[in-house]
Amino acid sequence: MTVVQQEITDYVARVRAALADLPATQRDELTEDLADHLSEVAAEAEGTLVERLGEPETYAAELRAAAGAAPGSGGRNLDQRVATAMVRLRRRLNAIDTQFGPPLGYATASDFLRLLRPGWWVLRGYLAAMLVTVMSTGDSFGLLPRFGGELLAGLIMLVGFVLASIWLGRRSAQLTRWPRSAVQVASAVLVIFALVGLVNAEGQHANDYYYDQTSTDSQYVRVRDVFVYDSEGRLVENARLFDQDGNPIRLGYPDCGPVSEDGNPLLRPYPYCVDRAPFGPRGPAGSDPAATLPSTPTAEPTSTPTAEPTSTPTAEPTSTPTPSGTATDRPSGEPTATPAGTPSPTPTS
Amino acid sequence: MDTTQLLKGVLDMAVLAVLREEDGYGYDILRRLREAGLEEVGDASVYGTLRRLFAAGLLTTYVVPSESGPHRKYYSLNAAGRDQLTRSGKLWRSFATTMDSLLDDRGMAA
Repeated sequence: MTVVQQEITDYVARVRAALADLPATQRDELTEDLADHLSEVAAEAEGTLVERLGEPETYAAELRAAAGAAPGSGGRNLDQRVATAMVRLRRRLNAIDTQFGPPLGYATASDFLRLLRPGWWVLRGYLAAMLVTVMSTGDSFGLLPRFGGELLAGLIMLVGFVLASIWLGRRSAQLTRWPRSAVQVASAVLVIFALVGLVNAEGQHANDYYYDQTSTDSQYVRVRDVFVYDSEGRLVENARLFDQDGNPIRLGYPDCGPVSEDGNPLLRPYPYCVDRAPFGPRGPAGSDPAATLPSTPTAEPTSTPTAEPTSTPTAEPTSTPTPSGTATDRPSGEPTATPAGTPSPTPTS
Repeated sequence: MDTTQLLKGVLDMAVLAVLREEDGYGYDILRRLREAGLEEVGDASVYGTLRRLFAAGLLTTYVVPSESGPHRKYYSLNAAGRDQLTRSGKLWRSFATTMDSLLDDRGMAA
């Protein structure tokens, strides 16, 4: 019996080999029962299978004709169309394979890709670890895997997964149909996961950039002009602001005064609009602010950012409440212009 | 033209017809076809036809365990298979009639 079994197995193998050009599904469909059928045949009659049925190649040709020649129902026709399309696709892929091999320095592109397989196995292990990381840790992780947020556990998992992936990769040729399909599906899932991760990382980068920009601006987004006061409470004109690196700090936007005088209006010194100073010699009790303030606003870029030494003859020399605080905390106070804050009558300047 | 070429077109119908009377397993069907006069029919052709008819949903199968030999897979006609046999039987009759009269007209009939 075992001799017959062996004979049947060999016969089926040769028939399958002769049908190798068919799509795998169609070939499996045709030959999945062949061994059973042949054992029926072997039980019915004397002689070897080859004597009874002819050479396996001949048998395969007849089988192919019987299975494909006479069209059955519509479903069969669809199958045939799909099978034909598969054959055509495979042929096309083969052509591409041989076409792109020489530029890479190999006979076929698949020769080259086959060399990359161990690299893919390692990457697959890493991706599996990252997938577990995503599922166990949530979204607070970097490029290293973590298990439940634990880096060490994640690294141990990484090593384990990489070794397992390599082991699987080396054994994939010996796997039977279903385990091999399972590995392929799992690999496909990991590839999709990796692509999603890549897209996310790229999107996060763009988001960071956007976020930075808005966060620096948001604090001063309502600022339209900057008014600098010295310790005496006098408005400093033609002021320029710099950060620790010497870069000019640009805030607000000049919406008054001479526009388009020298190119970029943002290069004008502060304040842009002198007559809008929140504190200063203006208001009902004061005189006309235009009289107290220099008429030539700011047009000179060479003027140093100091207060103009012009002594201002204001109306009220006796106003007592001089701004004792520093200039910085003064503007943060009441935003209404109080006439009491005139610091003008100082003789020195 | 030999019988093999004619068989290609009608083997489906022949297999369905053989199964109309009684279910059968692969080798059994082959034997019945040969006993009916289709001597040239090959095992692979019958097996392939059975696979195709089964895939097309015209046949159902069941396995009968055997104590002496191997298990046997029996094929039987289902409703779709019977419909198909009826349709192709009608088609064959009209086709055969046409061919007969064509041959008679030309005086070539035996």
